Amino acid sequence: MKLYINYDGIVACRVILQETLERLNIKYQLLDLGEIEISDDVTEETFAELQATLDRYSIHIVNNQKSQLIQKIKDTIVEMVYEKDKMPNTTISHYLSEKLNFSYGHLANIFSENTFTSIENFIIIQKVERAKKLIIEEELTLTEISYKLNYSSVAYLSSQFKKVTGLTPSTFKRIVDKRRRLTNN
Amino acid sequence: MQFSGLYKNSQVFKIALGSAIVVVCYIASVFYTKMQELNTSVEVISTANETQLELEKLLSIISIYETNLRNYIITKDESYIQNRFLKRGIIELNIKRLKTLASHNAIRNKDIVTLSNLIDERFGLFRQTLTIAQAKKVNADELNEKLLQSGASTEKMREFVYKIINREDVSVRYHNLNHQFELQDSIISAFLLVILSLLILLLSYNKMRVDIYELKKANDELKFLNYSFSNAEKIAGFGYWKYNLSTDKYTFSDNFYRLMGMDPDKQKPSAKVLGKYVHPDDYESIMKTHYDSLKTLEDSTAMCRYVLPNGEIRYIMAVGSFTKNSKGHTVKIGVNYDITEQFQKTLALEENNKELKLINAELESFNNIASHDLQEPLRKIQLFISRIEEREKSLSDQGKEYFSKIRLAANRMQTLLIDLLNYSRTVKGDKVFEKIDLNSTIAQVIQDLAQNIEDKKAEISVGKLPTIMGIPFQMEQLFVNLISNALKYSKEDTAPVISITLEKIGTKERYNAEPINNEVFHKIVVSDNGIGFHQEYADKVFLLFKRLETDSKYTGTGLGLAICKRIVDNHGGFIRVKAKPDRGAQFSIFLPKNIA
Amino acid sequence: MLTNDKPLRILLADDDEDDRTFFSEAIAELKMTNQLTLFNDGKDLMEYLNDPESDLPHILFLDLNMPYKNGLDCLKEIRANPRFKNVSVAIYSTSSSEKDIEDTFIEGANIYIKKPNNFSELKRVIKEVVHMNWQFHTSGLNKETFFFSI
Repeated sequence: MKLYINYDGIVACRVILQETLERLNIKYQLLDLGEIEISDDVTEETFAELQATLDRYSIHIVNNQKSQLIQKIKDTIVEMVYEKDKMPNTTISHYLSEKLNFSYGHLANIFSENTFTSIENFIIIQKVERAKKLIIEEELTLTEISYKLNYSSVAYLSSQFKKVTGLTPSTFKRIVDKRRRLTNN
Repeated sequence: MQFSGLYKNSQVFKIALGSAIVVVCYIASVFYTKMQELNTSVEVISTANETQLELEKLLSIISIYETNLRNYIITKDESYIQNRFLKRGIIELNIKRLKTLASHNAIRNKDIVTLSNLIDERFGLFRQTLTIAQAKKVNADELNEKLLQSGASTEKMREFVYKIINREDVSVRYHNLNHQFELQDSIISAFLLVILSLLILLLSYNKMRVDIYELKKANDELKFLNYSFSNAEKIAGFGYWKYNLSTDKYTFSDNFYRLMGMDPDKQKPSAKVLGKYVHPDDYESIMKTHYDSLKTLEDSTAMCRYVLPNGEIRYIMAVGSFTKNSKGHTVKIGVNYDITEQFQKTLALEENNKELKLINAELESFNNIASHDLQEPLRKIQLFISRIEEREKSLSDQGKEYFSKIRLAANRMQTLLIDLLNYSRTVKGDKVFEKIDLNSTIAQVIQDLAQNIEDKKAEISVGKLPTIMGIPFQMEQLFVNLISNALKYSKEDTAPVISITLEKIGTKERYNAEPINNEVFHKIVVSDNGIGFHQEYADKVFLLFKRLETDSKYTGTGLGLAICKRIVDNHGGFIRVKAKPDRGAQFSIFLPKNIA
Repeated sequence: MLTNDKPLRILLADDDEDDRTFFSEAIAELKMTNQLTLFNDGKDLMEYLNDPESDLPHILFLDLNMPYKNGLDCLKEIRANPRFKNVSVAIYSTSSSEKDIEDTFIEGANIYIKKPNNFSELKRVIKEVVHMNWQFHTSGLNKETFFFSI
């Protein structure tokens, strides 16, 4: 029989971390986004095993500071797009620099140097990703979705959607529906 | 109306006839009875009359006798009494006759007996009187007494006779009266009888006449049908045949023979005859079909070829079905008809069709090649040009310019090819019609052109649009083209304002001089505030490759509107435009409300 | 430029020699650490992919019109095999028909590229595709709904 899954990646991730750490008998403490405190006396073998296990889930232990920061930026943005039902009233730059305690300029630099995109672009990508999820869920109209994602109009959402994917939201939906039907046969 | 209907109904007719007969018999019997009664009363009257007469005669004889006696007494002449015995004899005769007459009547009989006695008594007196009168010496007193007695007797007799006569008279009169009534009754009965008989006769005659007329008519029609049938056979080129399962006999119509190229009735009808003229390859299968149908009693259809005596081949279709004839035998009746012409025409048509399909396929692939495959080398040209322009820095300015021109020309060619491809797609395309909500089509189009719309800062307003049956991709293409045009041909310093609405068709609107109305068409209007054009070009804009604006500011291939027209045509509708220079254009699209 | 240590593995299947040449030149000029393998037909491509020893690419660029086995058939085969579920398939074609584009996405392609007609455009397109693909790999975005048309 067929099941349709809706999942929360962040929660899933957390649970996997917890279960893996527990299984490997590593004492840990979940801190803020993407941060875990583990005891210093973890052997290299165990650490390697931990990395290997987590790699299977595409969960990577970020090694250097830069990567950590970038990961933090990403996580903050994701949280902002997904977990708050409405985007914050302050500008994003303000919000990020406040949250991560760095000047926005610094954050922006590091981010674009090490990823292929600017923070703005990443935000847009994440918003479009969420829009995709909402479109598939079929519970909200395009207007409601654009409102939820803080767009001034459906046209603006469509425009960004098209920039990111090259498709209009309706075309996207049509393709997903047809693909679903195809893979179900 | 009802009456004639009843008239025709034989059941009712039988009942009517029966009752008529009963009535006639009844009246006849009444008449007979009346006649009998009439007879009786006549007899009675005549008897009475005769009795009267006899009685009168009797009296008269007695009177004569009396007179004679008196005369003798007076004259003593013997001649007066000579015939007295004769007279007595006559009286006896009278009495006899009276007795006969009175034989049926008891009272009368008694009377006659009484009278006879009286007569005897009288005659006794006569004799006595005579005896006295004949004596030598006539005793006058005795004579007188006897004469008195005679007189009294005669008187008595006369009275009695008159009594009888009176009675008879009364009876006669009574019977006379009755007789009158009976006569009347008889006449009436006779009259009724005659009338009724006449009526029955007339009605029967009429019915017979009508029936005969109908029969004759039916007969004539049948004759005519037969005649026209055999004529029709000839004209239509079919032959009728019949096979009686019970008698195992075949019957062929005249034309059946003629179809096979034989003279009618040249040969006795049988399955063997067919064998001679049916094409040997077809004979087995057609006979099999025929014999199978005889077992299943189901209609059969088969096609075969005849080979005529002159060598010609004709294609024949044979159909047959089963029925029962008037004797109750199962009969298979059928028709063979010549379909040679149609068959050949159909063959020719099929050939034509095949050819057409081939031509079509060729055209399609030509189209494909022309648009699609030409793009490939074109693209390469453009790529290599761009490579050269990028890499070869040592090119002279002139060289650079030339390459730039080549590039532009190539780009233009590409645009043209793309548009041509689009056009050919609308021509061929899947003609699969689906339900389309035009509102979502427009929404999709607006999304597609979102960037362009944003760039031009255009305002687009959409009214409530209907749902139609159509080809989704083509509908999108239609509106993309129209709205792109509206965006493209906008005034330089004015933001485009475009509206797409459903409008009611005005009473004056015409298409090809025929009035159109809201029952049949939707009218959708796309209007803009762009640069517009002269209304006199309103028809030309839809022509293939027609461009009005050759100013390089406005890039276009001249295909956009031709594609629009093509799409609208595909959907059974039509498109037209109203425009004014510098005032923009309104494109009216008419789409049929129901596409069968 | 990639923060991943491993080089980007790219496969291209295209029967047109010039296109292959342009593609490799463009990749070279982009200065991305990469491993580019070229195929001139779908048949060869599938043979390579189905070989268990082969390294699977990050992105596969697939032309639609190829003589022995065309791109669409390859795509169907690839998407029918769970082994290739992490391989991004980019259709690289001259057709711009909306219907064709949609059909390839429906069959499971992630990216649709209309072959550009000038070189700088080609470079830009490849760069964007690579970046976009990388985003999907690294940011936990949904592969199932990864569609990118350019």
